[in-house]
Amino acid sequence: MTQLLEAIDISKIFVHRRGKTTRALEKMNLSFSEEKPDIISIVGESGSGKTTFARIILGLLPPTTGRILFRGKDITSLTHQEWAEYRRQIQAVFQDPYGIYNPFYRVDRVLENTVRKFKLASSREEAKRLIAESLEAIGLRPNEILGRYPHQLSGGERQRIMLARLYLLRPRLIVADEPISMIDVALRVLFLNILLDFKQKYGMSCLFITHDLSSSYYLGEKVVILYRGKIMEKGETEEILKEPYHPYTKLLMKALLPPDPEKKVLLSEEIKYSYEEVGDQMGVGCPFFSRCSERMDICKEKTPELKALNENHEVSCFLYER
Amino acid sequence: MKTRTSNLDPKLLLGMFIVLFIVSIAIFQPFLNKAIIGNHNPLNISLFPMYEPPSLEHPLGTDRFGRDVLAITLLSTRYSLVIGALAGIFSTFIGIVVGFTAGYKGGSSDTILRTFTDALLVIPSLPILMVLSAYVKTLNILTMGIILAIFSWPYSSRVIRSQVMSLRESPYVDLAKLNNMKDYEVIFTEILPNLLPFLGVSLAGSIVGAMVAATGLEVLGLGPSGITTLGMMINLAIGWGALSQGMWNLILPPILVLVLLFVGVQLINMGLEATYNPRVRRQ
Amino acid sequence: MDKLLEINDLKVYYRNVTGISKAVDGVSFFVYPGEVFGVAGESGSGKSTLISGITRLIRSSVYIPGGSVNFSYKEDGKYKSVDLLALSEEELRDIRWKHISYIPQGSMNSLNPVMKIGDQMVDTIIEHSQKNKEEAMSLLPDILNAVNLPSSVLNMYPHELSGGMKQRVIIAMSLALQPELIIADEPTTALDVVSQLSVLYTLWVVSKDINASLLLVTHDMAVHAQMADRIAVMYAGKIVEVGKTSEIFKNPLHPYTRGLLSSIPSIDYDKKKRLEGISGIAPSSTNWPTGCRFHPRCPQVKEECKIKEPPITRYNDERYVACFLYGGAE
Repeated sequence: MTQLLEAIDISKIFVHRRGKTTRALEKMNLSFSEEKPDIISIVGESGSGKTTFARIILGLLPPTTGRILFRGKDITSLTHQEWAEYRRQIQAVFQDPYGIYNPFYRVDRVLENTVRKFKLASSREEAKRLIAESLEAIGLRPNEILGRYPHQLSGGERQRIMLARLYLLRPRLIVADEPISMIDVALRVLFLNILLDFKQKYGMSCLFITHDLSSSYYLGEKVVILYRGKIMEKGETEEILKEPYHPYTKLLMKALLPPDPEKKVLLSEEIKYSYEEVGDQMGVGCPFFSRCSERMDICKEKTPELKALNENHEVSCFLYER
Repeated sequence: MKTRTSNLDPKLLLGMFIVLFIVSIAIFQPFLNKAIIGNHNPLNISLFPMYEPPSLEHPLGTDRFGRDVLAITLLSTRYSLVIGALAGIFSTFIGIVVGFTAGYKGGSSDTILRTFTDALLVIPSLPILMVLSAYVKTLNILTMGIILAIFSWPYSSRVIRSQVMSLRESPYVDLAKLNNMKDYEVIFTEILPNLLPFLGVSLAGSIVGAMVAATGLEVLGLGPSGITTLGMMINLAIGWGALSQGMWNLILPPILVLVLLFVGVQLINMGLEATYNPRVRRQ
Repeated sequence: MDKLLEINDLKVYYRNVTGISKAVDGVSFFVYPGEVFGVAGESGSGKSTLISGITRLIRSSVYIPGGSVNFSYKEDGKYKSVDLLALSEEELRDIRWKHISYIPQGSMNSLNPVMKIGDQMVDTIIEHSQKNKEEAMSLLPDILNAVNLPSSVLNMYPHELSGGMKQRVIIAMSLALQPELIIADEPTTALDVVSQLSVLYTLWVVSKDINASLLLVTHDMAVHAQMADRIAVMYAGKIVEVGKTSEIFKNPLHPYTRGLLSSIPSIDYDKKKRLEGISGIAPSSTNWPTGCRFHPRCPQVKEECKIKEPPITRYNDERYVACFLYGGAE
């Protein structure tokens, strides 16, 4: 099975002034196959490094160590043609539906540039037709969208135009970084449904980055739980969420609010105020140590490695290292 | 960027009015000159009796050379603006090239350019300008503009650089990269258009700054020959002892024009900041 | 004292470049003492503007063309009932913090970064009451305890606290003077899920402790399910449904409410089915649709919905709904 994209041992350290460093990512490994499309969710809070990882995968940020391989070749050594192909097949949707548009131009330009730069049409008429078709495929009316400036459209419309752009390109992999957190509740589900459609109809894989476990569950398949740049738990979504192993995953599940008045979690059990994190991350030891309700002495001294529990489930926690 | 007239800050409008007023005077100087002194060249000596006080015929009086002061002021404004414009355009152009390259590329190009820029900023410009203008063979409008530009481009390049650095982190720049746009394309089509109003103001500031620097040199007697400028008017007036003799009409007009121009550009700066920065905006 | 807060036909409009935005366009509901009342709706529904109208914390371009906000409270042992809209700024200041406290959206970011937490809390208390510094400081241990923050927090600066802790500081300040009504506008946005839980728990416990009503405004229906006794659902500047939370979730009446509830992914639901969501786009407040404002997106739209606006009618006991499916047509 050939791999479309592989992230191998990716680490990223940011250096600030006065020599202070932040370890944003540590030894991340992830891969997407060419033949079998996948939806992998990365679930993490702010500061988990999820956006950093997205930018590294997209080639917008170089990793400190590790490599990104596109169809087996390191992306730093791609030829011009290969790089164009990499750009064509690995695309993105970002979080902020406003900032993604250059306020100087109309929204049409985003789609026109995509068509032009990737030579999707051979004439202006064909380009116009393709663009109109892509908007309709996403449920937008071209005459209400084209010719407008970004501030004249709603956040939901702007974010959906990004989906129209992906429809035009049909990349093999979509990196979606918190794509629904800034749009209306009613629209979020429609957006997720389109991502599912993209996989079913066009075989597009998706790396879905979010802080919300429920949406990762809706998309299904595989999930990676990220905390402070390290993978805590990784495997099939259904299995992990029904029976979480890592204390952090357990905490995330406990903190989920079911939209059901009959199932009150606020008062059902004693809510332990999680140990609040104040101050810098530790150098050694498990990054979750200061908030873990099941921590042991060894957790402070050594960093746990990602180990497989079975073929679909990996955890990095000393509770399971025997 | 789209803005509506009702959103424009009054400072901005006032500033623009002042600046446009003075610029129009400079542009229409030939016609205005005709209205004041007819078909004569205002530089001609002994056209009129000297040291005339202000009157209906000569609203600002006449000077030691028997020239109509109002006509001289208009001509001086014109020449000063031209010198300032030349210097401003040269310096902004260099500032854009250096600022954009350093700001967008970052890394080693940034470090090299920044060191060079900072070095120029530290050098005391006035003494060197004095030496340069004293030694240059032909000090005309063009050479004066170039000399002034040498020392003023670092200012604009610094500010342009920081503006470019903040814009290059914008999500739409990321999207442009994902669309496989090359660096120069990103700079020209994504970043530059958003900086146009800023560059416009930077240019205006450079021009006025150059005019003030030019005036400094001219007051010391180091100006281009054969013409008249605001600084040269001040230089002559001081030489004639206008201050001690209370002949305000010889020294105030050029100062007033410079001050008004300076204030006008500052108002534009403040007004633009108010329009684009909602926190400063008056409610 | 039956109702703590009674809002009648409140309208809050504002002038903007494109016209007049009728953000809140005739809203009526009431809140009982000691209950948690949720206001649900998406962005653009007018729920935040509603709060700014009630608290009268509005910008100069905003005006209130009509309605009344009746608030009943106890002062010096006597019961008083006033229309908040008719009060002067000074009279309002007397009521703010002492009887009604307000936690605005993103308020955890409004803490002064160069002042210690303790000093800020004391300042706020002094400013809104007749207490002096000693009396204000004596309140601090109790309210910090109520929000489960250690007293060491008093000597810290805001940047040393996490988002959740800062929000709990704000909550502590809001209950210092034991108000009858606490208004919280999206108290958990920008917080991670674990902090969200502790902040919501804190709000709940704290309001029950001092027997205050909590007016909770959020788009997150799961939060309403967990916290609210009753909810009002807002759409396009109007209320479309009011009722007990458990009733509304079990049996949503208004098509918008139904759509909203079918837009929430959760861990429990049947994975085989897809969620429906609501098609169409939220309307603009300067140009509301004619008739029922939801008609362009309603899966059960009828002809009269496009022309006439359905009034709020009583469905049963505690339930009100504005939809022609349940009567209200002439």
